[in-house]
Amino acid sequence: MRKKLELSFIVVLMFLVVVGCSSNNNNVTPVQSDNAGTVATSKPEESPAEPVKVELNVFMSYPQYKEQFEAYFDQFIAKELAEKNIAVTINTEMPNSDQAKQILQTRLASNDAPDLFTIHANDIPTYYNAGYLSDLADQPSINSLYEPIKKTVTFDGKVVVLPLESSTWGYLYNKKMFKELGLTPPNTLDEMKVVIEKLNTANIPPFQLAFQESWVPQLMTAQSLGGVVSSKHPDWITKMNAGEASYKDVEAIFDIIDLINANGTSKPFEVGNEAGAADFANGKSAMWVQGPWNADAILKVNADFEIGVAALPVSNDPKDTMINLSTSTSLALSSASKNKEVALDLLNYILDEKDSSVLFEQLKFNPISTVHQFKVNPWVEESSAYVAKGQAYQDLTLPNGVTDEQAKLLQSYYAKSVTKEEFISTMDKTWATAVKAAAK
Amino acid sequence: MTSKTKWKPTLILLAFVFPALLFYSIFVLAPSFGGVWYSLTDWNGLNPDYDMVGLGNYVEALTEDRFFLDSIWFTLKYVVFMVVLSNFFAILLAVFIESQKRSKVWFRTIFFMPNMLSLIIGGFMWMFIFTKVLPFIAEHTIFKFLDQSWIGDPKLSFYALLILSLWSGVGYLMVIYIAALQGVPQQLKEAAAIDGANSWQTFRNITMPMIYPALTIGLFVTLNSSFKVFEAVFALTGGGPGRATQVIALNIYEEAFSQSSRYGYASAKAMILFLIVFMITIVQLWIMKKREVEA
Repeated sequence: MRKKLELSFIVVLMFLVVVGCSSNNNNVTPVQSDNAGTVATSKPEESPAEPVKVELNVFMSYPQYKEQFEAYFDQFIAKELAEKNIAVTINTEMPNSDQAKQILQTRLASNDAPDLFTIHANDIPTYYNAGYLSDLADQPSINSLYEPIKKTVTFDGKVVVLPLESSTWGYLYNKKMFKELGLTPPNTLDEMKVVIEKLNTANIPPFQLAFQESWVPQLMTAQSLGGVVSSKHPDWITKMNAGEASYKDVEAIFDIIDLINANGTSKPFEVGNEAGAADFANGKSAMWVQGPWNADAILKVNADFEIGVAALPVSNDPKDTMINLSTSTSLALSSASKNKEVALDLLNYILDEKDSSVLFEQLKFNPISTVHQFKVNPWVEESSAYVAKGQAYQDLTLPNGVTDEQAKLLQSYYAKSVTKEEFISTMDKTWATAVKAAAK
Repeated sequence: MTSKTKWKPTLILLAFVFPALLFYSIFVLAPSFGGVWYSLTDWNGLNPDYDMVGLGNYVEALTEDRFFLDSIWFTLKYVVFMVVLSNFFAILLAVFIESQKRSKVWFRTIFFMPNMLSLIIGGFMWMFIFTKVLPFIAEHTIFKFLDQSWIGDPKLSFYALLILSLWSGVGYLMVIYIAALQGVPQQLKEAAAIDGANSWQTFRNITMPMIYPALTIGLFVTLNSSFKVFEAVFALTGGGPGRATQVIALNIYEEAFSQSSRYGYASAKAMILFLIVFMITIVQLWIMKKREVEA
């Protein structure tokens, strides 16, 4: 009797476990739509016909801008209801950019694609080849983009994403310090050596080195390779992809890299990006190969800091000194979206003639389209001047994994555990592997 | 004995482990078998289409991948240092604590404490100590040798890594050894003392043989865990500078999630790590079983 009781008790427990699991699964969807419900509460009651209900899932790696985007989406919801009589509910998902890629890839792989999602412009080929992107070329928002920026998101002759964040960057310099020492940003390697000389005599380390996170030293190759390839070897990437070129051809990149490494702050591997920004802001160095995306971090430490942006010289020809123009986070429309029209409306609304300027100004993004009319930060003006003069190049599109390998090798190169020759041979091999992997 | 009474206890036992088994199969077993499958493919983690490449990934990992082989060597070096040092320090601490009278509990708690902290947090704490505190001490005292690039110099960062791992791992082993030391019969020690043995002789000839079973456990626990080391390296050096302190687990992680997203290839490397750990475990079980028979 007692055994039976025990057994039945166990069976009940097991049943509970199973039921508990399954009901958990069921709960997920209602929770999401609950959130959405609060977003879409502003329904005018007088609309003549019952509005069509549409639900959009938007995935963005912007948790820091959640408020701004949700407010903007609310405007869109009101606009869509007024103009097209469509009641849109928008479910936003904004994970941290560290995890966003993982989460997104899981979603896509499991056929649970959000209607709109953000990806990095450099990842366009991967997503395009997997068939997750759709062509946006004839959308009004795309047509209003500045031509150089449009080029950054064009792949296979199609514009497949809407750029959100785009930046012009070279290296940062301490404007005040340069003024006090009577220096101007150098245009050639020799001029750079003179500047370094003067800074050294003034007892200021010329370059800020913050190599703890490998993406920071990587910026040195992004700049030097970009400059050298765009000026002297325009077909280098095509040749590399065909296996006919080598890093040996662009060895000139080491001229500036060696110069920076030899004239930097000490103990770079113990300085992370944040710590580097703090040191730079406090005048512990004069220049830093970094982008203006660090402006916030620098100004937080020293609000009076005058940020300068200049192009990194890579040779003794001043024409080779160019600024890097690149697009990072971009918005894509899923090819599997069930509500393409409404999703496209939202995508176009991001670059709306009337409202977009306010949004981009709030987000402190750079103007990317003719609809943007707002005053930009002085350093953005400074770097845009290079673009206006034609001294700009398109950020290089390197195969998957090549950038990461460069980052690792630059760390090792500074630590002297890798020689220049090993750097070159390893990069050649990595490139070949990446091309082979992409061809499959 | 009828068969009826025989299967009943088994069923009850099974029923008790069922909930745990269910979760274990869904979250551990199924992905593991998935990993075996993916290790034979060239899947990139995203594309729905992928091809079988047979054992190609394994061949590439063991013959062409210099960084993976380097990481195996580095891990082996780390394992040797960790197995010796952590057991040595754990026994030392255990003997020291057992010799205390009142402060026993106090010391035991203090030395065990780091084990309860997440290694990631411990890593960041030590990062601060290595990059800020030690240079500060060097600047203001006579210990000038402390002003080193602890994280940035490939030679020193290995020791930085060892210090962090020992700090967090020794406490756990120490508890095992304390338990073993408490099981050493008092009368044996008394007999030795009467025979005129000094404390070293007592330790060497009485205590040590009595705690050998614990030593076996300690050795294999450290062996296993140091092969799989990840958080300590991830938090302190990130495998850097460059790949100077890259261990196997970190190499796999970067292959899959940050470098070229070669999930299939990374799975193959993970299987190799699994086989290494698996072999150690087999040897461990075999030795422990032998000891049990002897005892």
